[in-house]
Parts: sequence; structure tokens; C-alpha cells
Amino acid sequence: MEYEAIIGLETHIQLNTETKIFCNCKADSWGEPPNTNICPVCTGQPGVLPVLNKAVAEKAVLLATAMHAEVQRVSYFDRKNYFYPDLPKGYQITQFDRPIAIGGYLDLPMPEGYTRRVHIIKLHIEEDAGKTKHANGYRLIDFNRCGVPLIEMVTGPDLRSADEAAQYLIRLRQLVRWLGISEGNMEKAHIRCDANVSIRPKGADYLNPKTEIKNVNSIEAVREAIATEIQRQIREVEAGGKIEPWTLEWDEDAGVLRKMRSKETEADYRYFREPDLLPLVMDDEWKARILADFPELPLERRARFMAQYGLPEYDADILTTERALSDYYEAALQAYNGDPKRVSNWVINEVLRLLNERGLSADQLKVTPQYLAMIIRLVDKGTVNTSTGKALVVKVEDSGKPPKQIVEEEGLAQVSDAGALRAICEKIVAANPKEVEKYRSGKTSLIGWFVGQVMRETRGKANPKEVQKILRELLG
Amino acid sequence: MEEILRMEAHEIAAAVRAGKLSARTVLEATLERIAAVDGIPGRIGGDPEAEPDKIHAFITRTAERARAQADAVDAKIAAGEDPGPLAGVPFTVKDIFVVEGTPSTAASRILANYIGPYTATPVERMEAAGGVMLGKVNLDEFTFGSSSESSAFKPTPRNPWDTSRVPGGSSGGSAAAVAAGEGWLSLGTDTAGSIRQPAAFCGVVGLKPTYGRVSRYGLIAFGSSLDTPGPIARSVRDAALMLQVIAGRDPHDATSAAVPVPDYLAALEKDVRGLRVGLSPDYFRIVRAEGGELVEEPLPAEIKQAVLDTAERLANMGVEIVEDVPMPHNRYGIPAYFVIARVEAASNLHRYDGVKYGYRTPDRVADMREMYRKSRGQGFGLQPKLRILMGMYVSAAQYSERYYQRALQVRTLIRRDFEAIFDPEGKYRLDALLTPTTPTAAFPMGAVYGDSVLMQYADQLTVAANHAGVPGISVPVTTDADGLPLGVQLLGRDFDEATILRLARAVEDAVDFKPQITQIAQK
Ligand SMILES: [Zn+2]
Repeated sequence: MEYEAIIGLETHIQLNTETKIFCNCKADSWGEPPNTNICPVCTGQPGVLPVLNKAVAEKAVLLATAMHAEVQRVSYFDRKNYFYPDLPKGYQITQFDRPIAIGGYLDLPMPEGYTRRVHIIKLHIEEDAGKTKHANGYRLIDFNRCGVPLIEMVTGPDLRSADEAAQYLIRLRQLVRWLGISEGNMEKAHIRCDANVSIRPKGADYLNPKTEIKNVNSIEAVREAIATEIQRQIREVEAGGKIEPWTLEWDEDAGVLRKMRSKETEADYRYFREPDLLPLVMDDEWKARILADFPELPLERRARFMAQYGLPEYDADILTTERALSDYYEAALQAYNGDPKRVSNWVINEVLRLLNERGLSADQLKVTPQYLAMIIRLVDKGTVNTSTGKALVVKVEDSGKPPKQIVEEEGLAQVSDAGALRAICEKIVAANPKEVEKYRSGKTSLIGWFVGQVMRETRGKANPKEVQKILRELLG
Repeated sequence: MEEILRMEAHEIAAAVRAGKLSARTVLEATLERIAAVDGIPGRIGGDPEAEPDKIHAFITRTAERARAQADAVDAKIAAGEDPGPLAGVPFTVKDIFVVEGTPSTAASRILANYIGPYTATPVERMEAAGGVMLGKVNLDEFTFGSSSESSAFKPTPRNPWDTSRVPGGSSGGSAAAVAAGEGWLSLGTDTAGSIRQPAAFCGVVGLKPTYGRVSRYGLIAFGSSLDTPGPIARSVRDAALMLQVIAGRDPHDATSAAVPVPDYLAALEKDVRGLRVGLSPDYFRIVRAEGGELVEEPLPAEIKQAVLDTAERLANMGVEIVEDVPMPHNRYGIPAYFVIARVEAASNLHRYDGVKYGYRTPDRVADMREMYRKSRGQGFGLQPKLRILMGMYVSAAQYSERYYQRALQVRTLIRRDFEAIFDPEGKYRLDALLTPTTPTAAFPMGAVYGDSVLMQYADQLTVAANHAGVPGISVPVTTDADGLPLGVQLLGRDFDEATILRLARAVEDAVDFKPQITQIAQK
């Protein structure tokens, strides 16, 4: 029998606010010693009160809007009560039945050519808990992460394969970076994911019991864990077994799923309204301010690049991986005012390489889009040849000087003056009688070697077409 | 010394600011008074019967800190600076507020070793205004009670009017201290009547401001949607003076209101002529559930008479008295409070788990769960445990609809009762409602404690104001046949403390009971 997988994802997105959600401690503690970014509020001292960091609500509205979700005019905070040592208040402040946004969807273009629409059930804001670790028989607690703002987003059971689940996370990561609301780094747990997985005969319209996979922290791990679980469920059903609603933990090192003790998963959290916070009222004025410069989204821009500039899907996809890169491309194209594909080639080959090598974002480059356009123009006009042009990209980045200035200072302009080139070519021909002999006896492919000699002599500045023309004449 | 102690707080501040009296002199006189009347402070494992003729208001005395503050006030005066409106006024703080560097215990074993790492906003404001903190006073454990007897710190406070009686609660230490002349002002909290009831029992003034008027930052939470910090003082003017200092928006408390703070002292000078004050039959009876039936009992005649006498005297001053004002949902105040306060309390008490601070069991434990169980089992007294059990029960997923959600609906109905009587376009158009504060005078120690349900009904006349969020003040008006003080309560509109203070001041003028330091007695 053929089976299909039914997958829903619950993601937690760590927002990149300066401060935590309910106090003034620094939110990002990556690489910092334990318990350094803490205060009475986020360590749950007696008598303290939470005060909402408005930036958290604003970032949630950005994501909700990008997901086509309905932003609620009034939403509420609730307490989720449970005991755990890294939860200092003994309850987590979250949103339960009246979250900040409801509904929405994300359309995933799949590499196979189809599009998968993933529905969003709800999107809410909440605080993170701390971290515990065991060492030498002790349980150590780091409260740095307590109160770091999170968005929890729950999808419908709309994904049909491990690849689709991975694709959702890839697009989600792209989106949160694009919106500037999260660093979106899964290895730093900026995006955490729990997956609900079940299978059914292909085409069936009912849902079978599902299992929940927790603790998966990279896109590859999500793909692998889900694929593993789908195979396990198929084997189980084929063998006549039943799927139990287990909670599973992905052991990344061993590449296996482990069943978690059911005790850890059954709980009544006794949710009730957080009396220490007022309802979150997102009035029209505030919302309008948040959305005032809402950007074109990556998938929209990708489609527009294909339609408006006639770029191949491959180019459009790469250029829109990061918002800064796509902005860079458009700015360079505008400055260049010519063939979009030509600019795309330069950005994808030269600029992207530079970004990767130096770990920069496109908006941090000293080779501005305007400089890149100038460099391409210099190549077009024959002022420099292509390889000098490529070298110029690096030189401008290193020095920050305008390309023309570098060309002048370093004498990089292509030598196209026929008289000067002819003299050099004559010199090369005279100095290499053996090669001239071979050429004349029919080994015309040696022309390349002669051109190379001339280029070496001119330190790469000669116009190779012109050189070839003169050489053919001389070698006749 | 006697002379200094008999002054009012506003007089002390005026004299200190004028350079006529040093803050240090005031403080030393107060410390002498404390040494004379208070006896040993409450402590874990203390003898509840020790020194039955003393007040035992304190858990922690901070004399050295107070001397430093008094000297700082005097130094400011010497330098020509103004120390502020509470210059040199000694005050106490209910030990439910966290104060940096002092034990902040909530009168519980579970926080007995907890030293505050920051200072509660109202305390910070009083100190910034030149007030001198004498120390932390006793209360019911986590404020759970109406007699202060549930404190884990023994002996618990006694009523200065008769030390065989309770001072009320949960702000019992606060009211007893103020009545006995151990400081002029005390910062209390009121969740169902915990400022007003002990104030009435001890013959002093207690004001529960509007919810949101005074910051809760640093108040160790009981029922977060009901808890309100407020002043206890010997006179209405002193209560107004203190409210002036502690009121106003606090960026640390999202529920504190941005409503402007008026000049309360100036408001006291205004005439009360033409103000409309209501009397409600629903405040002259106690209704309680017994075996599924609602049992209705009239209030003792003395209590009702005290209110009617007060109304008559106000009428003589030109106040319009409006009779038969209905407050039909008042009777559900206690049951709804039982549920709401316990749900919030159970959650608020989650953080005391032996992990980060406070009491941790010294016993060997097998695992974390056992550490939690033993730390909480040994650290909490009976009252917190009862509240945790019931709070957990009524907020459980399968019961929440039946109890918690219903209690919230009742709360809305109670709120509507108040909106109706204060509606300026409505039938009653009241400026205030005049009621008794308590159904009885101070009861003997040990008399009601242990009967948790009955104890809660002591709050039936006060709790509605907490549900509705409106302000209320208790003013002493007379003494009963046993010579114990009786108080009346004025309930007002949201953020209109000025009007009930003004009326309370008129009551103070009209009645024979005058602000005083109680002669410590044992009857
Ligand atoms: Zn913090």
C-alpha cells in the first residue's frame, strides 16, 4: 500500500529584540557566562511584575502580516502553570485562547515544481525558560534565557513529506531574517521545532494517531527525524501494529528517536489570564506605524524578478535568499541600467562569493551597488577586461575607493592602443621562433599561448581580442 | 517625648522641614516607644503566648537603617535642601513588601531567610520623600487571614486596645503599630479588607486606594488582580499625606494607572455640603452559605447604629444622605473571592520551590520532585496550603468553567452595582457609599482562627471594593460596650480618593472619637 505522511509543525522563533520580553535585561546571551543577564524580574523574585516590551508585539505583527494572519485588535496574556527548576516563577507567561494573531498561510514553492500551502492556526507571543544542565551530580541552572521573547507558530496538518517540512523551515527562516525579527539561526536555537507526524493510506480523508517529535534543532535534523518516523510508522502499520500517541525525542548524534516518559507530557497547566499585564490592544494607529514600511516578501520578490527582469528561477531564488542581497541586486541593476541577467551574473558570481568568504551581509559591503554597476560598465566599455573587472570587485571592497580611481592609480586600464600592442606582439613573435614555426606548420591552437604571453607582458591589461587580431596578422 | 508622639505626621514633617525638630529626635522618641510597648519581635519557633501584654507588631526592626535615614534628613535640612513631604516621619512596612537588604519574609517560613534584592516602589517613594523606615511588621502568612494569627513568626501582633484580642489582619502589625504609637504611618495591603479591617479593629484610619492607584511592584503577590497597597495612619490627614507620596504611575507595574494624582491635602479643605452619600441595606446584613443554603444574619445593633449616627452627623454638615441603595451582588463577594484569590494565589506561590531562594528542605531527597514536595510541605503553613489546594482544584481544566469563569462573571456583576450607584446620570448619583467596615469589633485571640470559612466572612463588607477596584477608607467613629473601637467605611468612585478622604475628614470632625495613641490595655 502507498502511504502519505501528515505533518504539522510547531515552531518557536526567538526574536532579536534588544531587551527581554518583560524586563530590561539584554535578550541575547549567546556565548556569555551563565546568569549574567538576569534581574529580579526574570529570575522570579518575590514581588516583581512583568512589563511588556512593545517591540515584541511589533515583531509579532510583522510576522503575522507576512503569514497573511489576522492580527487581533485585543489579545491577552495567560499563565501556564508548571514546576520546573528553570522556570523561576513556576509559570510561563504566554498567550492561550486569545493570541495576537489567528489564521494565515505560507505558500511553499517546492523544487519539484508544485506549491504547498501551509495553513497557520495561531501565532502567539511568550517568554522563554532558562536552561538546566547536569554536572557532577548537580543540576545547574542558567537563567540568562529566562524572558527571552518567543513567537510560537502552529501550522495545520498540511505538510506531506519530510522535504516539505524542511522547506517550510527554510522559508520561515528566510522570512524572519527578511523581516528583521529574528537571527533565524537554528543552531543557536533561534528557531526550534516540534513536529506532529502521522501516516495514512494515500488519498484517505481521515487522520490517524500522531506522534510528536521534540528537540530538533537543525533543518537537516528535522528532515531526518521526520523521515525516520514516517518509515517507523509504516513498518509498524505494515506489521499489523498500532501507532501510539508517543512523544519522541530526536537524538541527533545517534540518529534515532527515543520515547519520552509519558509523565513528562501529561499535564494540566491550569491556564488563566495573567493579572499582572493589561490586555494587549493593537489599535489601528499602532498597527499602521508598525506596517508603515512593510517590505515586499521574498516569494513575491522572487516572482517579480522572474516576471519583471526575465531572470531564470535559479537566479531569482538565489538573489532573494536574503533581503539585503535582493535590495543590492535591484540597486545595482538600477544604477547599471542595462541587462538584468548580466547584473545577476555579477552579483551571484562575484558579490555572493565575497559575502560568503568574508561573512558579510550585502548591506555591509564597501563595493556598493553603484560601484558594482560602474565596474560592469568599465568592462562593457572595454576600459578593463573581465578578469580585471572581477579583481576590481575585491579591490574596491578592500579599499573602499571608487573603481575608476583604482583603475587610474594602479594603471589597470586595458591597453587597446593598436600601435603599442603591435610592438609588444612583434617582440613576442621575434623572441619565440620555435613556436612561430610550429604555428605556421599548422598548429594554430598555439594562438592562445601567444595571447597569454602578451597578456603576461602587459600584466593582464591588454585587450585580448585586439591582441589576437594583431597576432594572427603577424603569424600570417 | 510624649509631646512628639502626640503630634500628627503632617505636623512632624512640617516641624522637621522648618528646622524646629530634628528627624533624629523624632526617631529616638519613637524607638523608645517601641522598646516600651512592643516586646520581642515575632520569630520562627517563637512562643505565641510570650509577653501577652505587649504589641509584638514587628518581625524585623531596622533601627540602624532608620538612624542613617533620619541623619540624612537632618543633613539635608542643614544644607538648606527639602527632604520632602514625609521629612523625618517614622513609618513601618508590612513584611509583604520587599525592601533591599532587609529580611522580606511574608511572615512565612518559606521566605524567612530571604533578604530583599530590591525595594518595593511605594517604600522607595516614602523613603525618597524623607520618611524613616522603622522596620517590617507582622501579618498573616502571605496575607492569608484576618487576624494576623496565621503568621509563622510568633508571637503575633496583639490589639493595643486589649492585648487579649487580635489586631485584625492581614495588616495587623501595621494597624497595631500605628495605634500604639510605634511610628505614624504604615504601608499595608488590602486584598479583601486587609487594610480597612485591622484599621477598624485598632481605631485608626485605613485607606484602600483604587486598584492601579499605587504600584504593586515589590508587593509579594497574593491575589494579583485584587492586591492594593495603601496607608494606615492615625488621622485622615496623615493617610492623605501618605497617599500623596505613594500614588501614581510606576513603569515597573503595567497595571498602575497613568491617571493624574490630585492634591489630596487640598481636597480635605473643601466643604462636604451637597455631597451625596448612600446607605445600603445590603451592607447591614451578613449572608453566608451553610450546607448549600444562604443564611442571612443582621449585623449587631451597635455596628449598624454607629453607621446611622455617622450618617446623621454628616447630614447635619449638609451632606445629602440617600437611603435604600441596592447592592444586590454584595452577598456573592466572598464566594467569588474564595475562587479568584485562590486561583491567583496558588499560581503566585509556585515560585517558592526551594530552588532559587528561600527555604529548602534539609532532608535527604531522592529527586527533584521530592525536593519540591518537602521544601513546600515544610516551608508553607496551613493557610497557604489550603489556598494552594483549593486554587489548584478550581482552576483545573475540568472545573475552571464551573468555578473560576463563574467567579469572574460575579465579579463583573459586583462592579456593575458600583457603576450604577456612582453613575452621574443614574438614579443614585452617589459620591460615596457609607457602610460598616466590619461585622464585629476585634475578636479574642484564638476565637475564630482555624475556622477559615468563618474568618473569610469577616471580609464580607470590604471585599466588594476589591472586586470592583474602587477605593475605600475605614475611619474609627466610636467604641462599643467593651470599649473597643468601631469603624465605618466610605466607598468611592474610581480614582476619586480625594472625595472619600474629604468625607472621612468630615466624619473625623463630626464624631467624638479623635485620633489618638492607644493606651495599651489588657481587659
Ligand atoms: Zn531581567
